[in-house]
Amino acid sequence: MSGYSVLLVGFLTALLCVVFYYFAPKGSNTNTWQMTLILTFSCCYILWAITYLAQLHPLESPTRVLE
Amino acid sequence: MSHSLYRSEDVSLVQLYLPTESVRPVMLALGELSTIHFKDLNKDVVTFHRSFVREIRLLDEAERQLRYLHSEIALNSIEIPEHHLPTNYEFTLETTAIEDIIEKISRLELRVRQLVESSRSLNANYLQQMEYSNVLSKVDAFFAKSTNAHNPFDINADSGSMMVGEDDATAPLIENALELGTTGSFNSEDTNARTSVSLDFVTGIIPSVKFQFLERILWRTLRGNLYIYQTRADESVIHGSEDVEEKTVFLVFAHGTQILSRIRRISESLGATLFSVDEDSSIRTGQVQQINGNISDIFAVLENTRSALYTELAFIAGHISSWESILHKDKTVYQAMNLFSYDQNHKCLIAEGWCPTANLPLVQKTLRDVSDLVDSQAPSILNIIRTKETPPTYFRVNKFTEAFQSLIDSYGVATYREVNHGIVAIVTFPFLFAIMFGDLGHGAIMAAVALMFIMNEKSLAAKKDMDEILGMIFYGRYMVLLMGLFSMYVGFIYNDLFSKPMSLFTSRWAWPVKSEDTNARAIQTGTYPIGIDPAWHSADNNLLFMNSYKMKVSVVIGVIHMTYCLFLSLSNYRFFKRKLDIYAVFLPSLIFLEAIFGYLVITIIYKWGVDWKGNDWQPPSLLNMLILMFLSPGKIEEPLFRGQKQLQIILVLAALICIPWLLCAKPYLLWREHRQQEVRYLSVNDSQNVDEEALLDAENEEPQEEGFDFGEIIIHQVIHTIEFCLGCISHTASYLRLWALSLAHNQLSSVLWNMTLANAFQMTGVVGSIFIVILFAFWFIVTCLVLVAMEGTSAMLHSLRLHWVEGMSKHFEGEGYAFTPFTFLQSAAE
Repeated sequence: MSGYSVLLVGFLTALLCVVFYYFAPKGSNTNTWQMTLILTFSCCYILWAITYLAQLHPLESPTRVLE
Repeated sequence: MSHSLYRSEDVSLVQLYLPTESVRPVMLALGELSTIHFKDLNKDVVTFHRSFVREIRLLDEAERQLRYLHSEIALNSIEIPEHHLPTNYEFTLETTAIEDIIEKISRLELRVRQLVESSRSLNANYLQQMEYSNVLSKVDAFFAKSTNAHNPFDINADSGSMMVGEDDATAPLIENALELGTTGSFNSEDTNARTSVSLDFVTGIIPSVKFQFLERILWRTLRGNLYIYQTRADESVIHGSEDVEEKTVFLVFAHGTQILSRIRRISESLGATLFSVDEDSSIRTGQVQQINGNISDIFAVLENTRSALYTELAFIAGHISSWESILHKDKTVYQAMNLFSYDQNHKCLIAEGWCPTANLPLVQKTLRDVSDLVDSQAPSILNIIRTKETPPTYFRVNKFTEAFQSLIDSYGVATYREVNHGIVAIVTFPFLFAIMFGDLGHGAIMAAVALMFIMNEKSLAAKKDMDEILGMIFYGRYMVLLMGLFSMYVGFIYNDLFSKPMSLFTSRWAWPVKSEDTNARAIQTGTYPIGIDPAWHSADNNLLFMNSYKMKVSVVIGVIHMTYCLFLSLSNYRFFKRKLDIYAVFLPSLIFLEAIFGYLVITIIYKWGVDWKGNDWQPPSLLNMLILMFLSPGKIEEPLFRGQKQLQIILVLAALICIPWLLCAKPYLLWREHRQQEVRYLSVNDSQNVDEEALLDAENEEPQEEGFDFGEIIIHQVIHTIEFCLGCISHTASYLRLWALSLAHNQLSSVLWNMTLANAFQMTGVVGSIFIVILFAFWFIVTCLVLVAMEGTSAMLHSLRLHWVEGMSKHFEGEGYAFTPFTFLQSAAE
């Protein structure tokens, strides 16, 4: 688990986007499907990546007051 | 090319030639298609002078009559069944002739009015007769009792109270009267014991609340010489009239015609109804019989009238909804026909309208079908016209995209064929909402509610009288579903399940087994794979980490959102082939945004990637770095990476250059272009005698199509520059609401848990169990009402604002007009 997993998952997400660009449900709504799926994968990836990166080398550690 | 929601659809201008006999069928068919937006060809004609005003007025009158009938039906509590007639135009053409219907409606309305009127007057009459009979019976009872009693004052209480004068002066008076046999009209049956005393009396019926006033006024007027008998009227009279009020039958004895007339006037002024009751009991009996006869007669007639009215209304109720829809259709048709122009030579109506190009084959087929059906001599013709006018903006939406599109359309109608933000909003709106709302549990509740609406959508769509708020949730059910699903994902990342963390993977923070100081500090053993480590939840400095994390999430996502919307404007410029805008507007905007805030995002990500603690380096404050970058470029207090100083100077210079670039490039280039065009015009017209005046005139003259108003271009560009540059900074800060709302939601949820169920779980025993049940109910209700409904609405509003202001200001032009087709579907507003 390191910073490279962010890049790896990013690459996989990009791959997924390309795949679904060609395999989106056909019909009058193809364009809508394509945009929706690609945007969804991208947004989900961005949020996960930020969360992962923020915890890679954190500057703060959790503390607790012992009772 | 398949149409997409990315841009509004291609719309063409069509001209329809409709021969007069086939106008109505064609319009009925087109109204069902709902695909033509008619243009007004008679713009300069006042509404009152239009061709079909008379017909519309007739239809209005019929609609008014129908409304009256509708209210009468509702008054009589008759149910109106929904009409299940098929709505297609073939059926409508066959079965109806509009004139017959209008005539029938007016006939029925007249008849119903007559019945209602006569029913009302009969009812009033009936009530009056009932009152009269009541008065008669009560007075009869009174006299009967009083003659049987030796002492008039021995009458017992169940026949009503008696008002005796406060001073006993009246008693001797009557006794004297009885003894002396003075004239009066009180005759007693029993002539043995006493002489006949005749006292005139006034009798009537009055609302009970007024009776006290009557008593008091009469007492004062008659100076105590008052003998009044009152009793409550029967139930049948009380409930007979519309307003249920208690009435009192009263009987006033007095002596002297003047006094009697005064009493009469006083009682009538107070709203009493007076009746004449004879002293003689035999005459009274006769009166009673007559009244009873009257009553039964009137009652019979009244019942007949009522039942006639009921049958009439029931018959109408069966047809009224189909009539209403037919009248509505015809009225809409005539209103549309008012927009057409009439061609005298060919005896046809010419209509002009906009129709989406993709629907043109369907319209042509419909015209052919209608012509066949009606067997008209001349066919209806559809012509496509080329025009330079801007068509209306039309989006082809389905039940899923409808809600998102209407959100975006509320901000403004998009310019014809510009990029539609609606298709982007399908994902970004729920996503930004979810960042503010992120909780797995609350998201699940939201998604469940939405699923419930979606699974019952067929039956719910058929309901016509849905509550306003429920109607809104139903309209946006797919939006709420997406919002719930995204919230579940973000809640999973935030590791929040009703404010409790989940430990699906082992926590990567190890708490020490023993520690010297009271503050225990955890040790990192790795990185939690998906989401926020659950160890943070129970830490004391939880907020320290979460605030920093969420603020950075907000800024990063904000800058990415704004950059994406800026690229949508690039898509617009390429589509409309405006190369000038790409180089003079898009490029400086992009460089300005990225040089400052793109750089900030990159430094955030870079700072995350460096192991500061491990390498024992000092982590710099990014905010200070950014501020310092602008206040004193070239001065680095805490270095982040090598070469930072040079890079920052370059970025600051680039950003600064962009401002005059954005401000001046476009006006200058447009002005130069205009000059070149003018020179070309002049060189074409060039002849020997070109005097200066003509030159000056040509310079100030506007070219045919668009006016070149240099002043306006400059002002527009100045506003755009200021708006964009200041907006960059303020919008980036505005995205911090993503952090603020998510913090508020988290804290609220945590406080609610701690105040309710946490306390309940601390109690033990039976008492504890009972408390758990009670406090769970309280916790769940507050969760649903406050945390899901209220916070959800609030987060939705903020997400919408982020779209409208921060997102759409980067690319939206919004100068179009909406496509409003000619249709029979009644909008929700009606």
